[in-house]
Amino acid sequence: MKFRVFFVIAILVVGGLFWGAADAVHPFGNPGDVPMDGYFLSHAQRERGVNNVVTSIVFDYRGFDTLGEAAVLFTAVSSVAALFRGKGWR
Amino acid sequence: MPQNDLVHGAVLVLIVVAGFFAIWFRDLLSSIISLSAVSLLLAVEFYILQAPDVAIAEAAIGAGLSTAIYIVALRGCRKAPSGGSLSPEEATPEPGKEEPKP
Amino acid sequence: MRPLSVIVRTVCNAFAWFVAVFGVYVIVHGHLSPGGGFQGGAVVATFMALLLVSHGATKCLGWVRTNFFYAFEHVGLLTFIAAGFLGIGVTFFYNSLALSGGLFGSAVPLGPNGGSLNTSGTIALMNCAVGIEVVGGLSMILLYMMQGVFHVDKPTLRGKEEAGHDR
Repeated sequence: MKFRVFFVIAILVVGGLFWGAADAVHPFGNPGDVPMDGYFLSHAQRERGVNNVVTSIVFDYRGFDTLGEAAVLFTAVSSVAALFRGKGWR
Repeated sequence: MPQNDLVHGAVLVLIVVAGFFAIWFRDLLSSIISLSAVSLLLAVEFYILQAPDVAIAEAAIGAGLSTAIYIVALRGCRKAPSGGSLSPEEATPEPGKEEPKP
Repeated sequence: MRPLSVIVRTVCNAFAWFVAVFGVYVIVHGHLSPGGGFQGGAVVATFMALLLVSHGATKCLGWVRTNFFYAFEHVGLLTFIAAGFLGIGVTFFYNSLALSGGLFGSAVPLGPNGGSLNTSGTIALMNCAVGIEVVGGLSMILLYMMQGVFHVDKPTLRGKEEAGHDR
């Protein structure tokens, strides 16, 4: 019974925090004043010759992130191979 | 735009319904299919929110690959007999025993 | 794991090739349309998932080699790092091929336009490299899980290797 009251209070508190956070978010399609967005949108085609700005951010401006992502995938494959490698099969 | 809001709300409600069914089913295969439906509806939601990159990744990985991996893991399990656990010689399958005969 | 019914196998046999072609399209057009290396690679890896789930482990592991996807993953990762080293004269990951007039080097007009494949410098190379790496990695995860879960040994596999293509 005490746990149930505690859970109800916790759900109310966390829900209230989420509600406040959702109220503070900018409305959809109106992200406020973000100078980084304007820089990428205006410079990607001129500097890098790319039509897809998302790809230019992922692979050029933030190339290190993609390298880390590739390393994460490589580590995951290595761990799965180490876990499931059979007895006689390679 | 009221029609867009209608589709958006319907997709959100269906995500919650599919997520509820994913933990409500006792059958694990039905649960996996419900989880796949959650991923597919989440891809539709990302597409409505104008993020087609994330939608493609979610549809391919969430609805395709992770469902296949869950099904592989489920087919590797064995159902325990009612009222007791598996005996040790029954729990470890012999290699090649359950493969179909050619 | 037994193969599924003939309806599932026929549909998967026909549909897997369309999925693979769509994934290759997403990878190659990564610098023009939504998607890219990771998304397209995941779509292509669904090809292997469809074949594995519908045909079962024994026949499918007789068709493909794990070393093949192993090589895919290493070639993709090394090509990605090498494409990063192409512009090492300025910085690491500098896009030295863009707007140079050579391979992938033509300029694009500002504003909305139709787009051409011969743009964007090393970004297209990195898309293809990451696509190859993701195809190899996710397919290898599926193959290793399949042969680890179902205890497929090589001697039992070797006898069924030729008979697998018939049915």
